[in-house]
Amino acid sequence: MDPMKAQQLAAELEVEMMADMYNRMTNACHKKCVPPHYKEAELSKGEAVCLDRCVAKYLDLHERLGRKLTELSVQDEEAMRKAAAGTS
Amino acid sequence: AAQVTESDQIKQFKEFLGTYNKLTENCFMDCVKDFTTREVKPEETTCSESCLQKYLKMTQRISMRFQEYHIQQNEALAAKAGLLGQPR
Repeated sequence: MDPMKAQQLAAELEVEMMADMYNRMTNACHKKCVPPHYKEAELSKGEAVCLDRCVAKYLDLHERLGRKLTELSVQDEEAMRKAAAGTS
Repeated sequence: AAQVTESDQIKQFKEFLGTYNKLTENCFMDCVKDFTTREVKPEETTCSESCLQKYLKMTQRISMRFQEYHIQQNEALAAKAGLLGQPR
């Protein structure tokens, strides 16, 4: 695959990933912050603040885990390469 | 001025439909409890109407915080890039 195409594909996949992440985050924060009572149509102050914090934490965690995941994948790849080199 | 392309409009509409389905399922699960009758009871109606409004307010708030986060991220990146690009 030529590098231009690869880059374009990577960008598209990232957009898709972001959209998926956004949906999951919405779901998660809804579950965590909005109890299913629905006595009134407004978000209470507590629910609103919870949502703000939830979004912040979710995004932070997403970033952290992404970095760690990359780290581990790189390590993994190197280990496999060494193993392959060792056997050849 | 940025134009809203047709494919953007389609995506937006698709998202809207997705939200519609999700909140129907959500509010149904949380509000409809009486299966001794086919009729939707008045308390189930008021519950789901509150549920709808609350859900929409919640998604609006999440969207707002998410955008703020990304603006912050971009500003941080721009600041870094700006510092690197400083002529000495």
